[in-house]
Amino acid sequence: MSMCMDQWISQIEQWFHQQPVEQIYVAVAVLALTVVLFVLFSLLKTSKSNTIVLAGLNGSGKTILFYQLRDGSPHQGTVTSMEPNDGTFVLHSELGKKGKIKPVHLVDVPGHSRLKPKLDEFLPNAAGLIFVVDALDFLPNCRPAAEYLYDILTKSSVVKRRIPVLILCNKTDKVTAHSKEFIRKQLEKEIDKLRTSRNAISTADISDEFMLGVPGEPFTLEQCRNKVTVAEASGLTGEVSQVEQFIREHVKP
Amino acid sequence: MLEQLLIFTRGGLILWSSCRGLGNALKGSPIDALIRSCLLEERSAETSFAHDAYTLKWAFHNELGLVFVAVYQRILHLLYVDDLLAAVRREFAEIYDPKRTSYDDFDETFRQLQKEAEARAEEMKKSKQAGRAPAVPGKKQGAGGAAQRDAKQKGNGAGGGGSGKDDGDGDGDSGKGRWLANGNGNGQEKGARERSHAPPGSVVVKGKENGGPQAGAFDVNKLQKLRSKGGKKSDNTKPASKGGEPKKIVKKNRVWDDSPSESRLDFTDPVDERGEGIVEAVAADQGESMMDKEEDLSSESEAEEEDEEVEGAKPGAKKKGWFTSMFQSIAGNAIIEKSDLQPALKALKDRLMTKNVAEEIAEKLCESVAASLEGKKLGSFTRISSTVQTAMEEALLRILTPKRSIDILREVHAAKEHGKPYVIVFVGVNGVGKSTNLAKVAYWLLQHNISVMLAACDTFRSGAVEQLRTHARRLQIPIFEKGYEKDPAVVAREAIQEASRNKSDVVLVDTAGRMQDNEPLMRALSKLINLNSPDLVLFVGEALVGNDAVDQLSKFNQKLADLSTVPNARLIDGILLTKFDTIDDKVGAALSMVYISGAPVMFVGCGQSYTDLKKLNVKSIVKTLLK
Repeated sequence: MSMCMDQWISQIEQWFHQQPVEQIYVAVAVLALTVVLFVLFSLLKTSKSNTIVLAGLNGSGKTILFYQLRDGSPHQGTVTSMEPNDGTFVLHSELGKKGKIKPVHLVDVPGHSRLKPKLDEFLPNAAGLIFVVDALDFLPNCRPAAEYLYDILTKSSVVKRRIPVLILCNKTDKVTAHSKEFIRKQLEKEIDKLRTSRNAISTADISDEFMLGVPGEPFTLEQCRNKVTVAEASGLTGEVSQVEQFIREHVKP
Repeated sequence: MLEQLLIFTRGGLILWSSCRGLGNALKGSPIDALIRSCLLEERSAETSFAHDAYTLKWAFHNELGLVFVAVYQRILHLLYVDDLLAAVRREFAEIYDPKRTSYDDFDETFRQLQKEAEARAEEMKKSKQAGRAPAVPGKKQGAGGAAQRDAKQKGNGAGGGGSGKDDGDGDGDSGKGRWLANGNGNGQEKGARERSHAPPGSVVVKGKENGGPQAGAFDVNKLQKLRSKGGKKSDNTKPASKGGEPKKIVKKNRVWDDSPSESRLDFTDPVDERGEGIVEAVAADQGESMMDKEEDLSSESEAEEEDEEVEGAKPGAKKKGWFTSMFQSIAGNAIIEKSDLQPALKALKDRLMTKNVAEEIAEKLCESVAASLEGKKLGSFTRISSTVQTAMEEALLRILTPKRSIDILREVHAAKEHGKPYVIVFVGVNGVGKSTNLAKVAYWLLQHNISVMLAACDTFRSGAVEQLRTHARRLQIPIFEKGYEKDPAVVAREAIQEASRNKSDVVLVDTAGRMQDNEPLMRALSKLINLNSPDLVLFVGEALVGNDAVDQLSKFNQKLADLSTVPNARLIDGILLTKFDTIDDKVGAALSMVYISGAPVMFVGCGQSYTDLKKLNVKSIVKTLLK
């Protein structure tokens, strides 16, 4: 065996010496170039993420929004999601535009409370988060929605990377839907209450590591370290221009 | 009649629905209810789900990530639904394309499939019936039926089973015959309706009762055409499933400097040692309740130990399977079949059972995991056992993650704003530690400046009131008691009234322990709960319990529902798990209880002093369960 190996090695060495020196240099150069390019490419890819995450409670209309943004139609309606929908695509409204447009990676995280841990998988490389609220059926869902939003706003991955958050009041095509100012006020009020009760509980299991807002003052969304804005949309009728604006603000075309 | 058949992706997009004109005209959106309370709770191993007036059945296509749900009225027992679902699943998988979102051309195929399935069910009924009637015609007819079925499947044209059907009708005994006639009537009605829809060229199954020669002659040509069309389309079907990469456990660095905090080790309490004579001594200064403490240190070291153990124990096994699994994973990512899953699941079930998970629940969980994996493609460089393990880990995490908020302080503050006390009722079987843990909860609440009142509603066991009075005196909180032999429901009501008079924020109601089978006591409990409508019904269960956990919780829930006089009864909202310090790594009771009741574990009692109350660390429980 060892004899055989030695033979092989000597043969390779011979062949190596036979080659012209220039060729070896060229080979090394090509190798180095590819490695550098690869590293650069991967760096670029991670530094400018194009992931936008859709989050929110069950039945707030995330999946409809997802398909509205992708295909421009709600198809035949949706049911409760069991798995995240994600896709990388150019927004439907921009399909007609000329020139090269950077596609968006959109993720729709299911709202069922059992599936909330899934959100953590997508947050680390998110460029923005859209928190969808049902403006029609807001009051009964106000407290759970505020709790979810609180959890998101205090997550270390959101605070540290200052992921911008858009609170999107969905279903505004309906007459009885609440206005975005009202929803904003209610959410702020609820979060203000949560601040006191959550900080009283241990941090052992709940992973909020950051205190929200300024102590002693009533909480407003401006106090967050990341940018939080409020907008309106209607997934069913396709009125999603404000969402597209938000996405394009944070994922440059 | 089938109300609706729906095909949607696991992401939630409806791809096709059998009655699009009416939209989702079903009352109370049963499909959302199915997904939320059945499929997402790892109960998909069950065969059907009832919601309001509907029964739902479902089938998965895991490779393509599709779900098929059939909805029908609960009073009808449709025999063909399973059959139909399987057929639809088969046919739809052929034309499915991840990029396509509307499948209008599936209507025709579905209509054919439904007819086929209905006819087959009819035959089954008849052949069963004929078995009871004189033997000879039964046999003949059975053969006829089989022939017909074959004929249909091969597409050779009309079978000769029509006459056999008529015989069956005649021979049937009266009781069954009527039902059958009924079914036939339905079929005919349907046939007629369908004919009005169908294009003029197609032949419709109306001959069932007439027994004409074209009985069973489906529009086979059309079906074939459709199939071939589907075949063409399915060429560009791509597998949608991604190989689930197993998560690697990241090893954490051990932190040596911090010593565990004093009060955790210090279980002795000077007050305790002085004995019962000096109960007046105030125990309100025992330090922070453990609900408020970080337990990062302990969990970290635990995690590390775990890792080390795993590494220490496994290398032999790992090395042995390495080459074969490597070969398998390179040779091609095979589709997972049920038989492949069996050994891995068996091992997993055994492991869960050694962790004291009730057998019934371990079984159900494994079936549900199998249902979610069957038909999926095995990712390259993964083994079945690790795929199963990952799926199970996800499932466990999903089950144990609380569905409702467990932030009690928030709820207490909300109740305070409304100006009424927050009422917590502690229920459970005998001797699990209701009163002890009630005192711990009281201590924890007191530390957050919430005024607490105890209500001694255990008017059954002697000494219970005195026990609670002792706790009240040590914690210096008011107690409401009315002695023994009183109706606990009334005592509780008076206690709540008293609390709203003297502005207490929380009322903790202690009840007598009762076995789940004790009807009179359960009735009393149901009365107590319905009369006072507490904000939280906390089931106290000990972590030592094994298979009985299922029985306890399900019976408690059931009795509370059955024995109540109001239509929508209160059930158990949360679980307090006691004696958690005694069980080492056999943490299965937590899983059993949460799975069976759907309620989250709100507190964990883990010692003898007031501070020994903790929150459940879901991740560490999952890790321990799968160790």
